[in-house]
Amino acid sequence: MEEIFVPALGMAMDNAVLLEWLKRPGDSVSVGEVVAVIETDKTTLDLPAETAGVLGRHRYAINDEVPAGNTLCVVLAPGEVEA
Amino acid sequence: MSVPDKKTSLGLLRQMMVIRDFEETADKLSLRGKVSGGMHNSSGQEAVAVGVLSALAPLDVIATTHRSHHHTLAKGFTSREIMAELFTRSTGISGGRGASMHLGDVTKGHFGGNGIVGAGVGIAMGAALGIQQKGDKKVSVGFIGDGGMNTGRTWESINMAVIWNLPLIVVVDNNQYAVETFVGRVTGGGDLAKRAEGFGMKAFNIDGMNVLEVRKYVSEARERALAGEGPTFINALTYRYYGHNVGEKGQYRTLEEIDKWRSTKDPIDHFISVVISSGYATQSQVDEMRASVRAEIEDAVAFADASPEPDISTIYDDIDSGALGVQL
Repeated sequence: MEEIFVPALGMAMDNAVLLEWLKRPGDSVSVGEVVAVIETDKTTLDLPAETAGVLGRHRYAINDEVPAGNTLCVVLAPGEVEA
Repeated sequence: MSVPDKKTSLGLLRQMMVIRDFEETADKLSLRGKVSGGMHNSSGQEAVAVGVLSALAPLDVIATTHRSHHHTLAKGFTSREIMAELFTRSTGISGGRGASMHLGDVTKGHFGGNGIVGAGVGIAMGAALGIQQKGDKKVSVGFIGDGGMNTGRTWESINMAVIWNLPLIVVVDNNQYAVETFVGRVTGGGDLAKRAEGFGMKAFNIDGMNVLEVRKYVSEARERALAGEGPTFINALTYRYYGHNVGEKGQYRTLEEIDKWRSTKDPIDHFISVVISSGYATQSQVDEMRASVRAEIEDAVAFADASPEPDISTIYDDIDSGALGVQL
């Protein structure tokens, strides 16, 4: 199970805003496909999947402020179930 | 190049593995927001750190840079106390008040990392002057990056080390990129050792991916310094595998370039082949070593995570010598 999370970038990044979901829960995703777009103090950032699988539930909504390090969603491999 | 005895060689290999695992683990934790203030990953540069520090005595002095986890681990500090410092916990090497860029302990000859480009050589030069004045049988090593090679204070310090004949060894941990600027684009004359030779000191360009070569040049520099023959300049050519800082979106070099260095010049892979061909270990023993390193780093993370943050009453500790009785 891959966790897609808001990366802590630079020296003082506390959170980011979730701008867009490009995949819905249950969608299949392939390696490198962008799942979500976030905005930090400095830039917008595409968050791609690093593994192929099926997207789990959205843990945040558009425009939510998400603390750096927090998981936005998971990518489930065949047979895996989200907790 | 002659290979050291079995115990020494396996020690060099394990130390490089510890650094690699530590850095790759800390990199992931930094992206998760566990490392206060970010960090600079030294993966790829293990042979410089381990080659230098294995050639020094325990109380020889080092001063380093913003990228200093590898130097600090190689000096003998534990992965626990360095990981705890990255997490800014009270059990860290600097009491949790320094974080990644301010690892140090002057009582053990570690005069610290710092965030000022090129400052390490100046600090090490001052320590070398102190060693000379006190008549100690020690040397001082100033680590610097290729970016620091074009700052004024570096060459002021090197000039003073030459004219005062100080026991200083300048080591350029030359990973070839000053953040995103390639060293070849910004080095007038193109040859750092020749530049240093112009100041009247012994100077060498060496292979910083080869731990034994680094160790040999530093050992010889140390002997010369202890014999009163003054400073040496060593430009160790190496390569960093990750961005300047964790989370950097690197667009100034190609993935092919990184892959070429990793697949053909990796210091750990190279030294594993030396250790195996010398009959010091089998591949399965190397794998066991890697597993024991993995367990050590997992333990360091658990230790850091379980450690308390520093007490607020310690906030002014260690920022002056105490000799002036300054009350802050």
